Amino acid sequence: MATPEGRGAVAVVRLSGPEAFELAGQIVGDLPEARYAGLRVFRGATGEVIDQGIVICFPAPHSYTGENVVELQGHGGRAVTRALLDALRAVGARPAERGEFTQRAFLHGQMDLAQAEAVAALIDADSQVARRAALRSLQGALGEWVDEVASAIQQIRAQIEAELDFSDDLHEAGEETDDIGPPLESVRTRIRSIRQRTVAGTHLRHGLKVALIGVPNAGKSSLMNALVGSDVSIVNELPGTTRDVMRERIGLGEREIELQDTAGIRAGDEVGAVEHEGVRRALHAMDHADVVVLVTDANTPLTQWERHVLAQLDPTRSVVVRNKIDLDGALPLSARPTESLTRFMVCDVSALTGSGLDELRERLHELVAERDDVEPLAGEQRHLEALDRADEALAEAVRVERLQLGREITAEQLREAQLVLLGITRRDDNEALLDQIFRSFCIGK
Amino acid sequence: MFHVEHQKKVQVMSGSYFEVIVVGGGHAGVEAAGAAARMGCRTLLVTHQLDAIGALSCNPAIGGIGKGHIVREIEAMGGLMGRAADAAAIQSRTLNQSKGPAVQAVRIQADRPQYARQIRLQLDAHSNLQLFQDAVVDLLVEGGRCVGVMGRSAGVLRAQAVVLATGTFLAGRVHIGGVNYESGRAGEPAANQLANVLRHHQLPVGRLKTGTPPRIDRRSINEETLAKQYGDKPRPRFAPFAVGAEWQKALPERPCLVSYTSVQAHDLIRSALNESPMYSGAVTGVGPRYCPSIEDKVVRFADREKHQIFLEPEGLDSNELYPNGISTGLPLRIQQEVLHLCEGLERAHITRPGYAIEYDYVDPRSLRRNLELEALPGLYLAGQINGTTGYEEAAGQGLIAGVNAALQIRGDAVWVPQRDEAYIGVMIDDLVTTGVTEPYRMFTSRAEHRLQLRGDNAEQRLLPMAYELGLVSDARWRQYADYQEQLDQERARLQATRVSPQTLTPRQQALLGQGLRRDQTLYDLLRRPELDYEAVLAIGDLEPSTERALALGRQLEIEARYDGYLVRQAHENRRYQHYARAPLPQALDYQAIEGLSTEVKERLRRTQPPTVGDAAQLPGVTPAAISLLLVHLRRNGWLRLPKEEGAGD
Ligand SMILES: Cc1cc2nc3c(=O)[nH]c(=O)nc-3n(C[C@H](O)[C@H](O)[C@H](O)COP(=O)(O)OP(=O)(O)OC[C@H]3O[C@@H](n4cnc5c(N)ncnc54)[C@H](O)[C@@H]3O)c2cc1C
Ligand SMILES: Nc1nc2c(ncn2[C@@H]2O[C@H](COP(=O)(O)OP(=O)(O)O)[C@@H](O)[C@H]2O)c(=O)[nH]1
Ligand SMILES: [Mg+2]
Repeated sequence: MATPEGRGAVAVVRLSGPEAFELAGQIVGDLPEARYAGLRVFRGATGEVIDQGIVICFPAPHSYTGENVVELQGHGGRAVTRALLDALRAVGARPAERGEFTQRAFLHGQMDLAQAEAVAALIDADSQVARRAALRSLQGALGEWVDEVASAIQQIRAQIEAELDFSDDLHEAGEETDDIGPPLESVRTRIRSIRQRTVAGTHLRHGLKVALIGVPNAGKSSLMNALVGSDVSIVNELPGTTRDVMRERIGLGEREIELQDTAGIRAGDEVGAVEHEGVRRALHAMDHADVVVLVTDANTPLTQWERHVLAQLDPTRSVVVRNKIDLDGALPLSARPTESLTRFMVCDVSALTGSGLDELRERLHELVAERDDVEPLAGEQRHLEALDRADEALAEAVRVERLQLGREITAEQLREAQLVLLGITRRDDNEALLDQIFRSFCIGK
Repeated sequence: MFHVEHQKKVQVMSGSYFEVIVVGGGHAGVEAAGAAARMGCRTLLVTHQLDAIGALSCNPAIGGIGKGHIVREIEAMGGLMGRAADAAAIQSRTLNQSKGPAVQAVRIQADRPQYARQIRLQLDAHSNLQLFQDAVVDLLVEGGRCVGVMGRSAGVLRAQAVVLATGTFLAGRVHIGGVNYESGRAGEPAANQLANVLRHHQLPVGRLKTGTPPRIDRRSINEETLAKQYGDKPRPRFAPFAVGAEWQKALPERPCLVSYTSVQAHDLIRSALNESPMYSGAVTGVGPRYCPSIEDKVVRFADREKHQIFLEPEGLDSNELYPNGISTGLPLRIQQEVLHLCEGLERAHITRPGYAIEYDYVDPRSLRRNLELEALPGLYLAGQINGTTGYEEAAGQGLIAGVNAALQIRGDAVWVPQRDEAYIGVMIDDLVTTGVTEPYRMFTSRAEHRLQLRGDNAEQRLLPMAYELGLVSDARWRQYADYQEQLDQERARLQATRVSPQTLTPRQQALLGQGLRRDQTLYDLLRRPELDYEAVLAIGDLEPSTERALALGRQLEIEARYDGYLVRQAHENRRYQHYARAPLPQALDYQAIEGLSTEVKERLRRTQPPTVGDAAQLPGVTPAAISLLLVHLRRNGWLRLPKEEGAGD
């Protein structure tokens, strides 16, 4: 299954493996010539027509995975797609595990690891910006940036390693190491910029997280439904029905965000034991969200809890929604004790009638764009972890240098940093370091 | 080749049956023979010339950064090198004193004859070790195993295991300018027949080269104009724990002299490059990057106006000097002229010409970790034959080869130190997994556990195992255990004594300098670079616990300094922690895992890590590689997690 289930106008199903042609033949009859698109009728096990669509064959090894690949492009829609998948399963295909196609491509030597991960990102990328970021990584951008930083570290290492192993030779030539603090800081700056761009990439991929929080019955679930345009959340008149965090992605301009609907948060007393967990998760979501939307009921004064939250929220990444303005009891903004609201963007909306929703979308878009104002790189969580570990090691190196705890300790921090970075592109070359040392310094008696 | 025939011959030394035969009395050979003998094997050391046992083929110095670390490890495992070097030292220095203790190491200048004598004396102390002067010309192979050697004069010599430690002698060829001839080392024969035998057995053989400078007569130089370099007082030692009168004696000291090349000398070398075998194409073997000939230095660092020459004394009774820094293959005439263009050497007389030497080595990737040939069980290779260079590197391998030959005979499991246990472990792992592209020499940068692999803790790292193997005596063990106990007690004492900001006296305040933010133990305080052991004791109002306290204190200082970093350095691979305990099937065919680099496949195949976690610890094995390994295991249904302490999933 190459396109996400149930979305888009076309559903593409890909078959990969030595028997791909044979299996596909059982569904679509005779296959078109390699790499040419042909229109075929897709039939199920009993010969019933499932769909009509395009068929393309890519013989090994000139295919994405390096194996025989058949692409079936049918019409979207859950039911049709499901029927097609059932039919394929019936003739002996099995659904791919997540990322298996890319993994196969990687295993057949069609691409390097960072590229493989970029492809996974590309397939996942729903928005235009995300697609571009993934493409950039596919062309090796992340790997290149990381390699560049790793080689900057290697250069510093070559200098101090030479000093540790060949102090006599260098002393003779007057080639003592100068202050490595500034070059280290400059490397750290570069790592942080790559990190920022990779974070932007993961946002694009997974969507920037926007959490809806508020007291029970403020209308969070209703608002989420209204923004998504279908019934995903449970709406209920009994307070505290949404116990789980519901997530849904929506497009916002050319970007994509992940909306999270949480259980209502209350100050405490009425919270039943069952609900407790939901409340905890909501607080967690608020901590981990990129943008927070506090949903309030425009018909009642701010609660104690809401004021408390407002005091904690960061105005640069939050919006306050006054919901249910369609009701008669809705108080105008000016009639409320506004002191705590002045710092925030405030939107008057009705989840029920849809009024004010466009403005809310607009506000969210601004916030999201602001937070992602860098050229994104498609990266994975592991890349971020690696960048963090490298930066941590370099920070320690800077500290060790400042306190003069010993160059040999600095050297180990730099080794760690370089190794971790090279892990991103799967290169590890001790010899390269020695080579740099011997090219740069006259060593040996 | 001639096995059948050989078997019919009478075994000359048939009265004495040997378990281990070591070929070569160089630094690798003597350690191999010594180790096998200490482990109880009847051992025979066969070498071209008994009088050349323990010869220093190149410069008269032992140790240095990285190399000195290896000597300490050899000493901790009961080897010969450290003690012989101490007893033969005519100058000793600790290098890198301005750097941290992990990268400090001892280097000594040796009196050549005394060094050889000290090695010989130690060998002679082994009652189950015999020496024999002969040239080995063939290997005895039966049923695919090496079961002995063939001596030119002795004929068949049988053994259960053979260690080849033939150095630069295999098909050795010496070059001096346009002149070249077969030789193993100046004045000694090459081992050509044996070289052919190795090729015949289809071992992967390659060529490497190295070189040595001309020796000069001290009386012919202008000594007054040259700076002198003396050693440290008191003399640092490789075997500080050695007891007994013979180890306490010290030879008189001799300084080194420092001279420099000149622009004119460089010009001359440049103009004569076509006469150097390295540049004329006569030598095809690869030379080391870090030990360049003077030709190389002048070409590669063209803008340098001078290079240092270290004139090392060859010995107490010798007038010869070893000019370290100008190894060369230039014709003798040019060598002479170049020397005369160097400071203080204007009238220097050459006693022995410098030369380049090319020789066969066996690609060490054909070895198992225990240094046994994969293709020819029973045959172990050690030393320069494996593509390394340097006395210390050779000695370290010799020791491990000797130990494992003995273990095989006992029917015991292989033992080789790991990369985080010893430089010797790093070296062997590098050799058997990565191989060599130039003569391999130890650098501390090769060790990713450098902060752990120190000279001060060599005994802690290796002596317990050495004792278990039978490499060191009971007395040595007791001495160590005693020291260790005192060290533990002293550490515990420092860890148990706390100082607290609330109760600081003005005196303590003054001693502390920086002050104190929270409760700390004296051991914590030892981490502060400005506080040493004595200062910490004073802060805690403690007296030194024993006479040995200062030595203990120094070691605790070092420990404390690196403590925090050792844990951090442990290769962590958080992402796969979950799978760390998943076993790797013994018969796993790593070659079949798609996507792994050849180097990683090779490393995994050789080290056979028992679990995924162990694999992740290996150098070069990246998270991506582990990911591929897991994919492979899962695909084949081999991925299993042992059920233990609530390990879910
Ligand atoms: C010219 C030269 C320059 C060098 N320069 C440097 C340098 O600059 N830096 C450095 O670190 N190292 C240098 N070395 C290397 C250092 O000397 C060696 O690495 C070290 O000695 C190797 O030890 P080994 O035990 O492997 O072999 P060796 O010390 O070479 O000993 C080999 C022994 O085996 C014996 N033998 C060989 N074949 C047979 C046979 N068939 N039968 C019986 N006996 C045999 C020989 O007689 C010899 O005693 C140099 C060596 C040479 C020769
Ligand atoms: N009139 C009106 N009712 C609303 C509006 N938004 C939500 N509600 C109602 O308020 C109740 C609680 O809504 P819900 O979305 O479940 O609130 P939540 O607990 O914050 O998720 C439901 O009965 C909704 O129909 C709105 O904008 N106008
Ligand atoms: Mg709800």
